[in-house]
Amino acid sequence: MSPLTLVVIAPALAALLIWWQGKRWSDIDVARIGAAVSAFSLITAWFVWLTRGESVVHAGETDYEWIPALDIHWHLGMDGISYCMVLLATVLSGLCCLSLARPPSREAAHQPDRRSLVVLILVIEAASLGVFTALDLVLFFICFELALIPMWFVIAWWGDPHDPAGRRRAATRFLLFTVLGSALMFVGFIGVAWQTGTLQIDAITWRTASLTGTLNTLLAVAIALGLAVKTPVWPLHIWLPDAHAKAPTIGSVLLAGVFLKLGTYGFVRILVPILPVPAEKIGPYLAAFGVAGIVYGSLACLRQSDLKRLIAYSSVGHMGFVALGVGTLTASGLSAAVFISVAHGLITGLLFFVAGWLKERSGSSELSTLGSGLYGRMPWLAMAFAFGCLASVGVPGLAGFWGEMLALRGAYETGPAMNEAGAWTLLGIAAFGIVLTTAYFVGLMRRLLHGEPVPAVSVGAAPATATDAGTVETDTDTDTEAEAEPDLDREERVVCIVLVVSVVVLGLIPGLLSGPIAQAMPWIIGGVR
Amino acid sequence: MIGLALVIGLPLLAALVGLAMPNRLRAAQVAVGGAAATWVVAVVVALPRFGDAEPVGGSWGHAWGTLSAPAVTFALRADSMSAALLLLAATVALLVQLYSVAYLADDSQYRAYAAIVSLFSASMHAVVVANDLFVLLIGWEMMGVCSYLLIAHYWKRSDARDGAAKAFLMTRLADVGLLVAIIALGQAVDSYRISDVLDAVAAGELSSAMITTVALLMLLAAVGKSAQFPLHTWLPDAMPGPTPISALIHSATMVAAGVYLIARMYPLFADSRSATIVLGLIAIVTMLIGAAFALAQDDLKRVLAWSTVSQLAYMFAALAVGSVVAAIGHLLAHGAFKALLFLVAGSVAQIVRSTAFIDMGGLRRGLPVTFVTGTIGLAALAGLVPLSGFFTKDAILGAASDSAHDGGAAPSWLAWSILVAGLVTAVLTAAYVTRTWLLVYGGERRSPFHAYDPPSLMRWPLIVLAVPTVLLGIAVLEPGWLGGAEAEPVHAWIAVVSTLIVVVVAGLTWLVGQSGDPAVRLGPARPVLAREFGVDAVYDRFAVRPTLDAADVVLHADSDVVDAYVRGASSGTMTASRLLRWAQNHNVQTYITVAVVGVAVAAVLAGVSAS
Amino acid sequence: MPLVWPLLLSAALFGIGVYGVLARRNAVLALMGVELMLNAANVNLVAFDVWFRDVLVSGQVFTLFTIALAAAEIGLGLAIVLRLFRTYGHVDVDRLGGEP
Repeated sequence: MSPLTLVVIAPALAALLIWWQGKRWSDIDVARIGAAVSAFSLITAWFVWLTRGESVVHAGETDYEWIPALDIHWHLGMDGISYCMVLLATVLSGLCCLSLARPPSREAAHQPDRRSLVVLILVIEAASLGVFTALDLVLFFICFELALIPMWFVIAWWGDPHDPAGRRRAATRFLLFTVLGSALMFVGFIGVAWQTGTLQIDAITWRTASLTGTLNTLLAVAIALGLAVKTPVWPLHIWLPDAHAKAPTIGSVLLAGVFLKLGTYGFVRILVPILPVPAEKIGPYLAAFGVAGIVYGSLACLRQSDLKRLIAYSSVGHMGFVALGVGTLTASGLSAAVFISVAHGLITGLLFFVAGWLKERSGSSELSTLGSGLYGRMPWLAMAFAFGCLASVGVPGLAGFWGEMLALRGAYETGPAMNEAGAWTLLGIAAFGIVLTTAYFVGLMRRLLHGEPVPAVSVGAAPATATDAGTVETDTDTDTEAEAEPDLDREERVVCIVLVVSVVVLGLIPGLLSGPIAQAMPWIIGGVR
Repeated sequence: MIGLALVIGLPLLAALVGLAMPNRLRAAQVAVGGAAATWVVAVVVALPRFGDAEPVGGSWGHAWGTLSAPAVTFALRADSMSAALLLLAATVALLVQLYSVAYLADDSQYRAYAAIVSLFSASMHAVVVANDLFVLLIGWEMMGVCSYLLIAHYWKRSDARDGAAKAFLMTRLADVGLLVAIIALGQAVDSYRISDVLDAVAAGELSSAMITTVALLMLLAAVGKSAQFPLHTWLPDAMPGPTPISALIHSATMVAAGVYLIARMYPLFADSRSATIVLGLIAIVTMLIGAAFALAQDDLKRVLAWSTVSQLAYMFAALAVGSVVAAIGHLLAHGAFKALLFLVAGSVAQIVRSTAFIDMGGLRRGLPVTFVTGTIGLAALAGLVPLSGFFTKDAILGAASDSAHDGGAAPSWLAWSILVAGLVTAVLTAAYVTRTWLLVYGGERRSPFHAYDPPSLMRWPLIVLAVPTVLLGIAVLEPGWLGGAEAEPVHAWIAVVSTLIVVVVAGLTWLVGQSGDPAVRLGPARPVLAREFGVDAVYDRFAVRPTLDAADVVLHADSDVVDAYVRGASSGTMTASRLLRWAQNHNVQTYITVAVVGVAVAAVLAGVSAS
Repeated sequence: MPLVWPLLLSAALFGIGVYGVLARRNAVLALMGVELMLNAANVNLVAFDVWFRDVLVSGQVFTLFTIALAAAEIGLGLAIVLRLFRTYGHVDVDRLGGEP
């Protein structure tokens, strides 16, 4: 079995093992096994990348005839862009499993058991790794869809414990939206495969000159719509805030960190290389919608009252930068799309982890019930949150900045699809969007982290002691306060440290990502004039 | 190169290590030790650079990889200008760290504070020795972040957190200009190195439209960072932060970075008439309103803040008339005496437990060091001979008058206006300096307090800073200290006029001040000045309100418009389903009727088509 | 007699039978409509058999089959209608179905 296949299959095999034998192990051990398997995939992928040949485009390429009658191959390959995304997926899944390796909280008593959750996380991870390494269109689509179903269960069964109908609704809405988009995308795939006679992405990439005309423009629109639902691009974003508000902590992290990246990866891997000429026609619209999403998401955040919905809308804003980058069809723009994907996954993953832990401690993510003065109540949690907010704002020196800079540079370079006036207008509006992003995050920090330390009003959860009934306490050092509002525990601290360090390292040494991306870029952009 | 990298890396390391320290003492040792080590390295790197020495530098390219062309590299370079600012930044940072150990003696959050101050120091050094525009941008923005975190140090106070938010937001708005300028420059010159850009400008490779646009964008960034009109309102509101921070960030280093940016990229401005004119106009307006507002304030730190705004405008004015040497000279002198004044204000605030004038008075007795150094600082601010402020202000006004007579980068009307505005501002400066001195030190004490000189850790930085306040003027007189341009000796008539102004105005104010607060004599103008012309209200009405309204619109749009499509799709599907369900009414006769009619129609059609 | 008279009779009977099946509300009357349709078909078969002077008399033989089948079917049908009446208390086809 080739190493790359092992990378993709290992989480699925582990999921199977846990499902079958899981009763023998405790919840914490199962979570640790999940984290270990993710680490294994990470290390194997790194090994595959390091030992690739000199002029090999796709490291670790694996090609079996899977279903000969339909010409579907089990074709995996990892070029620089896939490598970055594989790293992201394994790191985040591993951290999700790790954060479950602690005794369940009081509220989890009503939820199904942890083992099933770890199984679902591993299945999602395997499917995502399949998407990121697939070089066959149908294999890509199968893995794309396969990641959806476990996510429905995660949101519907382990979501917001106080709102069963709401979480089912959010999960179903998410599923229907993305399945509809995927169906359109599949129509596009079949259209392309019918014209070129093959389903292999690298083979099609060499035959792109013939794919022009109205039919191919329509196919490109179909594929773009399917990916735009996933990314999400305004105005197809409406499923995201609901899904995030009702999802559990690790559900939100996986959704924001890995799921959305399936869409952005599709843009870079499939839409631009396979249909470059039609992509030039739809590029300006994609960029325009992206910029609309940046401003729209930022404005929506200014008036949000729910913490997780706010972070969800900020994701819409950041993915707007991705859409802008892809729409410019320049090397800078496409590099920006990949860079933002990875950086946003790490940063928003951190934000959702912290927001989720806050919600678990107080029972709700409504800002009005979370209290204020978090620096005084849970200083390390507050500092992690402040770091996440500043990274998300795009402060240079942290990972979030380089992607946004590349997207703006792509817009400045204009690219083959737009004219200067249009591109520079989008540049200006996107730059304004950066200021708006700063505004709402600063407002959020002021509301939540600063101020008199007012403890959260516990919603629904049984109080651990008698003193946390929402009274205003000015002295925050009493032991009873510490019991009711614990700061980060060991697993949470590990998760935070890993994410903070990776964000800082990527911010100061962007070459770690941009090197692999640059290796893959000539093949992605080769067809664009 | 190693030295330059150390000058950035050491404070960064001190910040990280300091955060991990278990107690106050260790954290203080790391912070002060780091600042001291950085100071030593800075002196070693900087001193050889003065005069006509060649700049040193280097770059590490591979670590930053290729972010597609043009590549971003970690390139550093130090010439005499960088050396001067490096010395200033390192010295003030060390003194502030020392001072803070005593000032924040009973603050539980000292560790985070010291770490962030070290991080700030690293960022400022990065800005000053950067040879790559992105290194500069990273340092620039990290300074903004540190400033935000430090102003919000007393996050329980609403004025502190509001001031921090406002400062960060306004400077970030301006920083976007710098980012766009860097992107545009990089594309035009195909390199992000500052040295390459300046070479390209000298060789005339850039179009004048590009030069003007980039210059204006950089001006926007500098205006935001240095709190010039129209982005001037954040600096006084940043005063609720700890006073050592105001000394470090909001007088000597971060706000000076705007001046440094323009000084470093000066060839862009030299080639662009319109940018120079805008720069000059902004400087004129700001220096006048800064000094005027300082005259009407009730709070010591706010007076110093507005004074900083006004003095920074002097530096911008010097740049507008083409004298980088004068600007940098005043930057150094102002850094010394303004930091001194803020630290004095900190000591006074500790004694009086407030920063409002109403609680001060009579502080000349009982605290000799604070009194003497404070007086020296105020005199330097007013430009009293032979303190440093006198020489540097003279250099600026002299450059303006030379430019007005001989022509130069600025049109002569601008140079004349700058000269006049500079003299008027000198009048106002002398007035508010004297008023401040009278309200703080003069008269009798107006509130009960125990007068004492602060502990030695807070005393010695004052003494150390008083030295360059007095002596820096001599250094500035040395011709060619900044390498290249000749520093003008003292201009005779300007020296005489400005000394006269200081003496006369100070004397008048002193006389007026014998019978109460001199500002009362401003009459009806005073409330207008105290409210700072209500610019903040204008911003609130025309920028903040509409944005928040747009945010409400967006929220409604999401739930009522976009979501309506989704809900419409779902209810449309349900309606279609309900309609089709009519066909399933479990009435057998209906089914048979449909079948019979269908068969009859099919038979007729078959018969018709067969014939 | 001309062939057309029995055919007309058959058609008329068939039409009345269709009306009975499709439009009558009483289940017994619907079944009577079915009987009428079957007998209309019988008349048709016999008429054609006589006109063609079939050697095998297949029309009349077929009619005998039909009569037997109709009898069986009506027996079963009426049994069901009886059951329905016992359960629902009526045999109105429009209202049958749902809770008894």
